Amino acid sequence: MNNLTFDETQSRIRQKAMFTNRLLFAGLIVFAVFCLFMARMAYLQWFNHEEYLGLSEGNRISVEPLAPERGKIYDRNGVILVDNQPVYSLSFMRESIYDIDYTINAIQELLPSIRPETLAQFKTRLKRTPRHRAIILPYTLDESEAARFAVNSYRFSGIALNARLKRVYTQNKSAVHLLGYVGRISQQDNLSIDRSRYRGTDIVGKTGIEHFYEDKLQGYPGLQRIETNAQGRTIRSLETIPPTSGENLTLTIDIRLQKYLENLFEGRRGAAVAIDPENGEILAFVSSPMYNPNLFVDGISHTNYNSLLHDRNKPLINRASRGQYPPGSTTKPFIGLGALEQGFTTMSESIFDPGYFEYQNRRYRNWRRDGHGWADLKRSIVESVDTYYYKLSLDMGIDSIHDILAPFGFGSQTGVDIPGEANGILPSQAWKMATYGKAWFRGETIISSIGQGFNLATPLQLAKAASILANRGRIINPHALKGQSHESPEQIPIKNREHWEYIIDAMTDAVHTPRGTAWSSGRHITGYKIAGKTGTAQVFSLNDGEYNEEELDKRLHDHSLFIGFGPVTRPKIAISVIVENAGGGSRVAAPLALQAMNHYIKELQ
Amino acid sequence: MIHSLTSSTDSLYVTPKSWLQKLHIDGWLLLGLVLLLSTSLLTVFSASGGDWHTTQQHGFRILFALGLMLAVAQISPSNLALITPWAFLIGLLMLVAVLLFGDMGKGAQRWLDFGFVRFQPSELMKLALPMMVAWLFAYSDFPAPASRFIMGLVIVAVTASLIVVQPDLGTSILIAMSGLFVIFFAGLPWKIIIGALAALAVSMPIAWNFMHAYQKQRVLTFMNPESDPLGSGYHIIQSKIAIGSGGIDGKGFMGSTQAHLEFLPESTTDFIFSVFAEEFGLIGVAVLLSLYSFVLIRGLMIAYFAQNNFSRLVAGSFTMTLFIYITVNIGMVSGLLPVVGLPLPLVSYGGSSMVTLMISFGILMSIHTHKKMLTD
Repeated sequence: MNNLTFDETQSRIRQKAMFTNRLLFAGLIVFAVFCLFMARMAYLQWFNHEEYLGLSEGNRISVEPLAPERGKIYDRNGVILVDNQPVYSLSFMRESIYDIDYTINAIQELLPSIRPETLAQFKTRLKRTPRHRAIILPYTLDESEAARFAVNSYRFSGIALNARLKRVYTQNKSAVHLLGYVGRISQQDNLSIDRSRYRGTDIVGKTGIEHFYEDKLQGYPGLQRIETNAQGRTIRSLETIPPTSGENLTLTIDIRLQKYLENLFEGRRGAAVAIDPENGEILAFVSSPMYNPNLFVDGISHTNYNSLLHDRNKPLINRASRGQYPPGSTTKPFIGLGALEQGFTTMSESIFDPGYFEYQNRRYRNWRRDGHGWADLKRSIVESVDTYYYKLSLDMGIDSIHDILAPFGFGSQTGVDIPGEANGILPSQAWKMATYGKAWFRGETIISSIGQGFNLATPLQLAKAASILANRGRIINPHALKGQSHESPEQIPIKNREHWEYIIDAMTDAVHTPRGTAWSSGRHITGYKIAGKTGTAQVFSLNDGEYNEEELDKRLHDHSLFIGFGPVTRPKIAISVIVENAGGGSRVAAPLALQAMNHYIKELQ
Repeated sequence: MIHSLTSSTDSLYVTPKSWLQKLHIDGWLLLGLVLLLSTSLLTVFSASGGDWHTTQQHGFRILFALGLMLAVAQISPSNLALITPWAFLIGLLMLVAVLLFGDMGKGAQRWLDFGFVRFQPSELMKLALPMMVAWLFAYSDFPAPASRFIMGLVIVAVTASLIVVQPDLGTSILIAMSGLFVIFFAGLPWKIIIGALAALAVSMPIAWNFMHAYQKQRVLTFMNPESDPLGSGYHIIQSKIAIGSGGIDGKGFMGSTQAHLEFLPESTTDFIFSVFAEEFGLIGVAVLLSLYSFVLIRGLMIAYFAQNNFSRLVAGSFTMTLFIYITVNIGMVSGLLPVVGLPLPLVSYGGSSMVTLMISFGILMSIHTHKKMLTD
């Protein structure tokens, strides 16, 4: 170092000084940047800690609802009517699918029953879906398809097989108007349900038992707190509260009788309700035509819905409890019984029937043009003599008739556990004033006496009335759910028990004697007796013109009615049958009802 | 030439030699490095979800790198100066080779495959370029003539260009910075520095046009990460969530839910700081930054006490390059800088950058411990 010149030494000292300055400058930069980092970290970790902690928890933990299994529904003998079956679907996570076109083609090859259009549409949707969101292929795989996919699942990254329970109506169309169906929760449903009970579920009972017992059938959802990763894949379950399944329901109906009756209705419009008069249990609840509730479970297609909605035969209407028909002559036994009990007539009193009844210069025709001649109350029931009631009703007045029929359930809802029941109409002076603001005409009493005019009843009301008659006045409440105590042991006051037996005898003769209106089908019944009454409800009244079936549109034909119960001594079944536009009650409704009752009593008991 | 290189005023100070100095080890630097590498081992273990295999590999690599550092420390700065031009030339040739026959990895040609080993020439350049520029100024008068500065800038520009076309923007910037630090420490006049920075600001919009779409996207995303929360902004958002959710004292060792649940990408490499910050909180970050400060200060001290121009320029540049590494990575994961994909030095899991860094520390140790030998 002695060999350095002065200048060289000076230069080196200046250089060292410069370098030291620059080092200090660099050190300052380091210090400044590290201070900035600490400030940034304090900002993130101190001042905004809560927010980021929330975000990280949100990342990490997701609460997934566990949908409860909806209660199953059985018939009175334990036959399953509504079940839940596992169905499978595929969910696609776009992010994890390497080649969408290739994948879709491979799926098509593996599951050839998926319609190519469905897949093509789905592919477009998939390509437009955000990467992190899973979307579900609108196709339901059956068990074997699910198994086939499961075996091949290693080929399909990003596609998951999901299982869920689907509502299945095992009897298809059968008893649809009783059971109802489930469907997607709509905006309207949201107003009436407790949304928290439907987490993880998107179906709700829409009609029938499914709707009425929604609260029992729908269980309580459980929940699962799960830790998920960025892909939404479950890492582990932190906490599980299992769901509570809905209650299984056992119904009072006998699906065998139900189907038997439905078969008898094949190709006809109408309704039938069969009740066990002992306890009010509904044995069959038929409304024809029917439709398949399975169509509604996953949301019905527009085409299907429109074709149901615009079907001329209106299959969606529940005729059994919503259909209101003029009860026609089926009211005769009740009016007759009331007249006996209240002394408007006696068991021995007869009137002469020339085939018509005249009141205030108007003729009220009997269904039999040549008349029945001398007829007492019994004969008026056996042969359905209209004239007897025309006269009787004028003596009684509409309010007496109303008061007689009301305890049997006419004109008011039965309180059945099926939603949407109609009231029917049981007219009275007060009713007409309240409804139309007009006074009652006596002529209206005359047509009311044979269940025409304002009178309307539902098949369910008629079955209830028949049951009460079978019970000799003990009132039952029809219901479809077994095991519930629906009983309110009310009794229609009886003045004379003989009056009741007299009326029931008359109804028995209507079925079992040659002059009876139901004889043609009743004569086949052996070993026990059935009591019944036919009815014919006029849909269109041609005041004085000639009644000519051929000239009338089929839709204007009379409805055919029948009510009855049996065996008379110890009634097991009471029934009402209405067949729309089928003509006289003796022709269609009576044979149908008698055949069904006979089948039930002989085969199914 | 060699004579002027070895002569120094510092050689007047003679102190007794400790066993550390005999082994050419700088105790303070070693302490800082061992503490940082231990932190690294713990954090990699945690970030990998407690994966022993990964942690073990990382441990072996650390031991290897420490060994390499000690080996390099044995080479005297004068010998390092001797091999510098050759090392740089080889590095330059290999960069050209990469462009011609490089291996494709993640869409970029960065590796040369020699059959038995895959080598990334840019790693060599991280060391060779600043040393080469320092070598330029080692024999120059003070103040150095403009021609030296121009030569230095040309060398930096050529090297950086060769790397940026691979494409590897992050490494390219880093290497350019390491060369520019040498030029800065060599005494480039402030007027020119300020003028260049101004020119750079003006030329930014022009540079924009030459950027790759993904690079532009990264910059755009940096400006507004929430604009594409599921795409390129996702990483930054998740990283900020990780850091922020750590709070003051953190979620505890192994407590990073963001990493364990795979919300954080590259949690053992580029985003390891986020894992660390989530688990050890603001306090942990303060400790980590203190450790870095400690190593940086020691590096600057070594530069200050270096005996000759070459040594002090290399020491200053290496130290500041480490600082840039830290700045870019922490700035990136905390949302202050765009995502450029650089590991956190000494902490991230990963081979080549760790080895390169440890060699540079070996050179620092060599610079600090060989002075006394020259006075014997």
